[in-house]
Amino acid sequence: MNRTRLLYPLGALLLLGAVPLDALARIKLTTLPVREQVQIHLDHPQIALVEEERIVPLVKGVNQVDFSWANTRIDPDTLVLRILPPPSEQPLDVKVLSVSYPPNENALVWSVAASASGAARVRISYVLGGLSKDFHYRAVADRDEKTLELAQYLRVNNHANEAYDLAQFQTGIGVEFDKPLGLNETREVQLNRFANAPVRKTYTADPVKFGYLDRARDQLNVPMHYVIKNAGHPLGKAALPEGKARIFQDDGQGGSAFLGEDRGPFTPPDDELELYLGLARDIVVRRTIDRNERQRIAGNLYRYDVTVKYEIENFKDAPATLNIVESVRQIRDQLHGNNGRDPEWQLGDGTLHNPDPEKSDADQLLFHVDLPARPADGPAPKLTQTLRLTLNNEW
Amino acid sequence: MILNRMACFLCLLLLPLALPARNIDLATVPERRTVQLTIYNSEDLTLVRESRVVTFKKGVNPLQFSWANTLIDPTSVELKFRAPNTGLEMLDTTFPHDKPQALYWNVQSDADREATIEISYFTSGISWAADYLAIADADEKTLRLENFVRVKNLSGEDYENAQVRLVVGTINLVEKIAELAKLPVGRVDELKREEYKDLRQRAARKMMAPAAPAMEMTAGAVAYDTAEMEAPKEIIKEGLSEYFIYTIEGTETVQNGWAKRLRSFEVDAAPMTVEYRYRPREYGDQLTRLYLLKNDAASKLGGTPLPDGVMQIFRANGSEGLSYLATQHLKYVPIGDKIELNLGVDRLVIFEQVKQKVYRDNLWLQIRGGNLYRKLGEDGFKLELDSQVAGWDEYTVYRQKIRNYSPKPIHAQIRREYAGDIVFRSRLNPTLHDFQTVQFEADIPAGGKAELDYEVIARMGYNQKQNRVELQNGDAGR
Repeated sequence: MNRTRLLYPLGALLLLGAVPLDALARIKLTTLPVREQVQIHLDHPQIALVEEERIVPLVKGVNQVDFSWANTRIDPDTLVLRILPPPSEQPLDVKVLSVSYPPNENALVWSVAASASGAARVRISYVLGGLSKDFHYRAVADRDEKTLELAQYLRVNNHANEAYDLAQFQTGIGVEFDKPLGLNETREVQLNRFANAPVRKTYTADPVKFGYLDRARDQLNVPMHYVIKNAGHPLGKAALPEGKARIFQDDGQGGSAFLGEDRGPFTPPDDELELYLGLARDIVVRRTIDRNERQRIAGNLYRYDVTVKYEIENFKDAPATLNIVESVRQIRDQLHGNNGRDPEWQLGDGTLHNPDPEKSDADQLLFHVDLPARPADGPAPKLTQTLRLTLNNEW
Repeated sequence: MILNRMACFLCLLLLPLALPARNIDLATVPERRTVQLTIYNSEDLTLVRESRVVTFKKGVNPLQFSWANTLIDPTSVELKFRAPNTGLEMLDTTFPHDKPQALYWNVQSDADREATIEISYFTSGISWAADYLAIADADEKTLRLENFVRVKNLSGEDYENAQVRLVVGTINLVEKIAELAKLPVGRVDELKREEYKDLRQRAARKMMAPAAPAMEMTAGAVAYDTAEMEAPKEIIKEGLSEYFIYTIEGTETVQNGWAKRLRSFEVDAAPMTVEYRYRPREYGDQLTRLYLLKNDAASKLGGTPLPDGVMQIFRANGSEGLSYLATQHLKYVPIGDKIELNLGVDRLVIFEQVKQKVYRDNLWLQIRGGNLYRKLGEDGFKLELDSQVAGWDEYTVYRQKIRNYSPKPIHAQIRREYAGDIVFRSRLNPTLHDFQTVQFEADIPAGGKAELDYEVIARMGYNQKQNRVELQNGDAGR
């Protein structure tokens, strides 16, 4: 009976008589087929699947093929041995008869029958713990913040206690590369570089999501974002996996200035990746409830007229677009308490009466307000915007 | 030659007395000729039947059976005479106080003879479990499905060249225990522990008794014939009442501490379909991707129920490699029943529901807390101060968006459950899964989108007359 041993961890050379598969066989000869090819599949969000291809010499009859993985975190339940088709000039019929698991060992023994003596090409697949990945991004905006260069990186962290001399990495986003991966090594590879990707810089006032900068003075936080739509050239071909993004801006002197960093969510095609840049201090938004009137319809049934007023100043010397976001339910709850029902509302004749239809729904309203630049020779003008709402059938 | 590594011995004591001497003993050790293991996966219970050939002299023959360091239940050990089955009689059984894990039988023989005896007992520590490997082809049209059985031996005893039989299904011992104890099932818990254990073993033994075939195995029949290529062992499946018995072809050696895994069946290219389902009660609040097939002949299956077991699911990537998809615990699948492999969320399919509009009408007010109700806006209805809203119809307009960024067209099935008196209005050709669950479907091409509009009208409070969903064909929203 031929015995072949596939050693998973490096340096485990205790071969002879190490596994008591056959207690009577004290003298054994073991062949050690090397890895011909390794593929590391990282397409699953949480799991790394490793596939090794080896050429295993078999004799006619039944062969024992040992596989051991001391000190590594192979999930033994995921171990699959597949016999790949032999070349047509060397027909060899190979079948796996059974698998035996010795006690107290990270090992198994495949019992493999071969129709003739020869070399079988096999693939061994397993889920390997400790091999993790993360994506990250480097975004460099141009001087006028209209486009940016987005570089996408994959970082593979090898804490699996196993080294791979050369592995083909399949990232799941259409990019493959061949690299070695050493013990406890972290390897970073640039997967994509999207040049001249259109970017929008937004300023947002959203009392529910971003709150107030100064509640006593009704001054809202106004966070800034770069918004990159994952559509159109050069983006839109694949989803952008979640990951940390470092954001820079071209300083016009051959270098770049660091603007901040943010964690971007998984962004499928057609969706927008928003990267937070910090709070804008030169755009000031004060939000007040300007009107709150109640009108009885009948009994305990009321109608409310509510006006939300925004006083906006742009102290920047460039025009900007401010996004104003409101939750109607939040307004109703704040003014009249939460009755557990969705509000039924209508927009009135305030200056804000055309919400963005793509990003507004039964509760949330988004308005875009264009802010002119501060005049070079004068103070920033104060722009007043109003949102008038009628809340119907409230009780 | 069968050698037991642990001490499960049968000794014929060469003594004139029925009970052995205290200090100086002489014994012969008849070897185990055949052994059969019947392993349950629902209980930590294995029925062992072994046969040995013993030479008896005329008169009383003391036999000692001992099982040091094993997990054999001493009260379950039984002795039967197989060949010949006359002329031999067991006189008594003694459990010596000074020698745990041993017993003595006194056997009366009417002549000097050789006899085959059968010893059966229950042991703990031997278990079996099924597991599965499923590999979809690159196009996800067919599935290669392999089923394995894994036998693990932690009983303390090596069983060499054993015929192994595996019981598929949950053995309903409680009912049988109740039957034996002549008690209602609900009162089985009142039995004393020892009594319960005894009845449990008797129940299991009784259940298995008709299934045990004659033991005609030949010891050492597993020598490899290298002239012909060894084939994987067949696992013979037989129905038995509500259970299935898997019998592994030939014999197997399962050493103590070891586990052994054998293929039970394999099916290449079983046709399957891919479906996306939104069923929050079954799969959580997410659109779930599934592989669907049936345990029937059309799927090249259906020969046996599929026992409970863990399934590893992969997809062939078209270049001899695999992609890992999911690990799932497959629940027992009867013959003819469907097999659903849950692959979780597909990140390339975006599933979003948008609440677009809410409005109310048909408002009814209860006047002064009495039995008088008036509809708002009704002719002659005056502004009544002392009235409360008692009933209304609440309209909510939804848009279900599905974006498919996968390279293949998909079919999605959505179920939404509504409590109360509901009208579901849409042009989606929905059906009712049950009285309060609406089901509708959509096909989305590769790279395409679907926007499915519907309106839910809930009749609330005084207006609620029913507790069911009514389907209406119409446009969503006013």
